[in-house]
Amino acid sequence: MDIGMKKNKGVIKLCVYTAIFLICLLSGFGGVLSNNLMRYLFKIFLYITLGEMWNLMSGFAGMTSLGQQAFIGLAGYSVAVMTTVYKLNFYFGIGVGAVVGVLGAALLAVLLLHIGGMYFSIATWVAAEALGTFFSGWKYVGQGAGMNITISPYPKMSELYILALILCAASLGVTYLLLRSDTGLGLTAMRDDISAAASLGVNIEKNKFIVYLTAAFFTSLAGAVFFINKGTIYPDSGFDISWTISMVFIVIIGGAGTMEGPVIGSVIYVLLYEYLAHFPGWSNIILGLISILVILFMPKGIAGFLRNFRK
Amino acid sequence: MYILQVIINGIMLGSVYALLGLGMSLILGIVKLTNLAHGELIILGAYCSVFLTSRLGINPFATLLITVPLMFIFGYLLQRLLINHAMKRGAEAALLVTFGVSVILKDGMLLLFTADARHISSELGSSSVNAAGMDISLLSIILSIISVGAIILLMVFLNRTYTGRAIRAAADDPRAAELSGINVAKTFSAAMGIAGAAAGIAGFCVSMKWTFYPDSGGHYLLIAFVVAVLGGLGDIRGTLAAGFIFGLIQVIGGANYGMLISYIFLIIMLVTNPKIAHAADDLSAR
Repeated sequence: MDIGMKKNKGVIKLCVYTAIFLICLLSGFGGVLSNNLMRYLFKIFLYITLGEMWNLMSGFAGMTSLGQQAFIGLAGYSVAVMTTVYKLNFYFGIGVGAVVGVLGAALLAVLLLHIGGMYFSIATWVAAEALGTFFSGWKYVGQGAGMNITISPYPKMSELYILALILCAASLGVTYLLLRSDTGLGLTAMRDDISAAASLGVNIEKNKFIVYLTAAFFTSLAGAVFFINKGTIYPDSGFDISWTISMVFIVIIGGAGTMEGPVIGSVIYVLLYEYLAHFPGWSNIILGLISILVILFMPKGIAGFLRNFRK
Repeated sequence: MYILQVIINGIMLGSVYALLGLGMSLILGIVKLTNLAHGELIILGAYCSVFLTSRLGINPFATLLITVPLMFIFGYLLQRLLINHAMKRGAEAALLVTFGVSVILKDGMLLLFTADARHISSELGSSSVNAAGMDISLLSIILSIISVGAIILLMVFLNRTYTGRAIRAAADDPRAAELSGINVAKTFSAAMGIAGAAAGIAGFCVSMKWTFYPDSGGHYLLIAFVVAVLGGLGDIRGTLAAGFIFGLIQVIGGANYGMLISYIFLIIMLVTNPKIAHAADDLSAR
């Protein structure tokens, strides 16, 4: 295929994606979608955002974090404090949530980024647990009982839906651009062989820092929007390891190290979770079993399987 | 006198903590795997003891005779049938598989045993020994003897028996061990079996000493991890010392602050320990 055709194909793809985005956006404004459908799509969009970010870290940069719930909790509490204590607009709360998340990430990055391999996973998890323990003892945020998130007037489902859609599109766009840049090439080199990448002049520290902060930024935004929808936050829900369990599931099932993987994974996750709600107590067991089977027998996930199939 | 009391309480608590970390340390040091299901193995052992005591009326201490072999078999099969295969896909795949196992065990126990708090109560809990003007709980003394005994037994096993030496050889250099006729897959499975058995004894101590729930595993996993890292991965004697230090921190810091201090302590350990940065390089090279 010559370069001209490749470029054409790229333009066509971009047009298709823009069209999908605009259709979703307009149907949100137009009131075409039922509230129930919007609720599903709202979840799918946010999980795509979370999944893409975890994938950016684990699938592309080889940084398997088990502590992304730290940023979700920080952002959720930021929204709660801004809207309930200071009575400010919830968009302002989301913004504060993102700032707090990124600042927290910058602080953690200094400590954690040079820890390699599985110890990074544990360190990120412990950091999130430590934050959760700290919030359980902090009087200002209601200790273990947590806080209500009171927003008046409460945003309509369509408003949250559009917010989630824009967030999802932005995270996909940023991931795409980041992977196309020098940073992205450096990242995959890093994941495949960290010493070789370093000896070829890849600035590992800088790349890791960029990825970690980008992931924290979008994860915080998604967490803030999630908790506006939930309306209440307490330490065990904000800093819950289940947030990371869902990200792991989405990326593993969909296909780690591919852009389309988390999109496929999120759709499956949200639909499967709704379906499994009929069997109380079984959902995590079944999700866990599926993840293990996929790791063992389909290591590239559904996206990898489809790619092979097309060849 | 007060300080002496704190030290004694800290050491008795610490010996149980060391036992909690024992299996974790063994697997980290030998199989080079972070077993995220270790906390659930401990809770599974605890449920075994509770079930045998409350349903079959067996003496709590005698339940160990059933729990320990069962947990050994469970650990052995877990490694043999699942984790060995996952390890062929790389360290990250293995880590995520143990993560999946922990989720499955946790929710499985929730379904089987409900979310009720469990505890084995015995008269030992209320009786105490009076020595040098201090009251020391008899139960705590017995549990620390069991813990330290199990740790010494494992140390002797690793140093003196053929299987123990094979396990250590496989840890040092799996390929060379394979060449000298050691079946590494079986050896790793045996190591996980021992870790399971250690988790079983630790679970028994948990059920005697504290109340627990199906989702208590995460809490004990973190304690186990702090002890294993602090003690130097796979170093049994270090694990015992780390348990004592950690126990003292808990007694001095109190329940909530004690946990927070140990989390921060662990992060500092991870950040400053060059051995860990090195171990990580080894892993990515494998």
